[in-house]
Amino acid sequence: MPLIRKGDAKPAASAQGEPGDVLSFLANGTDDQRWAAARAAGDAPGGVQALGQALLAEANPRVREAIFTSLVRLRSAEAVAVILPHLRSDDAHVRTGALDALRAMADIVTSRLPALLSDPDADVRLLACEILRDLPSADATALLCELLEREDQVNVCAAAVEVLTEIGGTEALPVLSACAARFPNEPFLIFSIKAASARISSQLPERRG
Amino acid sequence: MTEEEFQRLCDFLYRRTGMLFGEAKRYYVQRRVTERMAVTGATSFASYFARLRGDVRGEVEQFINAFTVNETYFYREDHQLQCLTTDLLRERLNIKPKDETVRIWSVPCSTGEEPYSIAIWLLENWSQVDAHDVEIIGSDIDTDVLEAARAGIYGRRALMRLSPDLVDRYFEQIDDEHWRVLEDLRDSVRFSPVNLVEAAETRANGKFDVIFCRNVLIYFDDTSRRTAAENLFENLAPGGFICLGHSESMSRISPLFEVCRYEDAIVYQRPLERARV
Repeated sequence: MPLIRKGDAKPAASAQGEPGDVLSFLANGTDDQRWAAARAAGDAPGGVQALGQALLAEANPRVREAIFTSLVRLRSAEAVAVILPHLRSDDAHVRTGALDALRAMADIVTSRLPALLSDPDADVRLLACEILRDLPSADATALLCELLEREDQVNVCAAAVEVLTEIGGTEALPVLSACAARFPNEPFLIFSIKAASARISSQLPERRG
Repeated sequence: MTEEEFQRLCDFLYRRTGMLFGEAKRYYVQRRVTERMAVTGATSFASYFARLRGDVRGEVEQFINAFTVNETYFYREDHQLQCLTTDLLRERLNIKPKDETVRIWSVPCSTGEEPYSIAIWLLENWSQVDAHDVEIIGSDIDTDVLEAARAGIYGRRALMRLSPDLVDRYFEQIDDEHWRVLEDLRDSVRFSPVNLVEAAETRANGKFDVIFCRNVLIYFDDTSRRTAAENLFENLAPGGFICLGHSESMSRISPLFEVCRYEDAIVYQRPLERARV
């Protein structure tokens, strides 16, 4: 059985170095250097700002993903601040990357959510609904109900309803009914609200008990 | 559990872990929920679901454990081993430099059943095994299980999927209930400790042609999962493959990999490098 032979592990190449080198690679390196620098930059002084700058310019999806992950690992309000503008990106991949990153630190985004849910841009309001999915049910339900009571864009309402379907509390039931009444000519929304209300109502016996 | 509660639970499970349960699995799911409610003292589905969503006292991990086969054994999910010898190694050899060692990583390897299974499978099923050097590494965060893996002693249940002939040829019986992997085979697998979310530790293991990383990412939170996916990406040679557990999907975790559908398995590939910038 001598067919499988052992060899020494070959360490993978990495673009580690002094913090200054890392940030320099992040801005000016090759794809592989920027990838490695993006993964290391979180530990460097000034890393958040450098990652934020890099995110503005980065065109390689692999490196961009590494930048988002480094910002997620930092889990700070500063990291959230550099990600938030990318919810408005024209590039769907960037928007999705930003959304996934924000969802991974939803607890830190919480203080920003009321503003996001009131943003003039309907797309931002829609994406903000998705961030709420990872918050405690009571907090998310309250914010989504406030949104539903004033929202005039049917797609944003639909996004809010979808999140409530999974995590909403029973306090959302009258708000959902009112929302359905405001959009009598949107059958898909009415169907969604019906489904959401049925699921949320399944909690009622315990609440009453 | 009502239909609505079942759907809520399924939505949460899919989003959190990637595990997908349809109506046909409802009884199975309900049994597990009932068990966990009894253990946690939850008096209603709603209170248990709140506990699960909040991951109170690590309930997500406990719940996943109730759904997964924690017991490991030789030739588990052997359709992926079939895919390894039918497709993955052929593709790797098409692009690897001649005479370069084929490297396979089993992580987490627990008590060693998976890396030893890979070695036996290659010896039994890969016609080119004589023509190439193959290095198999098993890694785990738990150094106790690594010691057990190095010892290579297994009970009857771990060997249940191996034919008597394979057991005779690759193990020595040490008592009525236990068998030890033959020394030559033990020597052909190297074991090392690794934490999948620590890049310095994963990098130390080098680049691999194929990684088996089954049933561990479902336990990680979003941040750890992203980090582990990037570490695993670095550990793959360009064009290398990663095999996950049957209920896991890399597409839900990271956009870095490409999905490859083969006759025996769905696996994920680190894309081949394009022209450098």
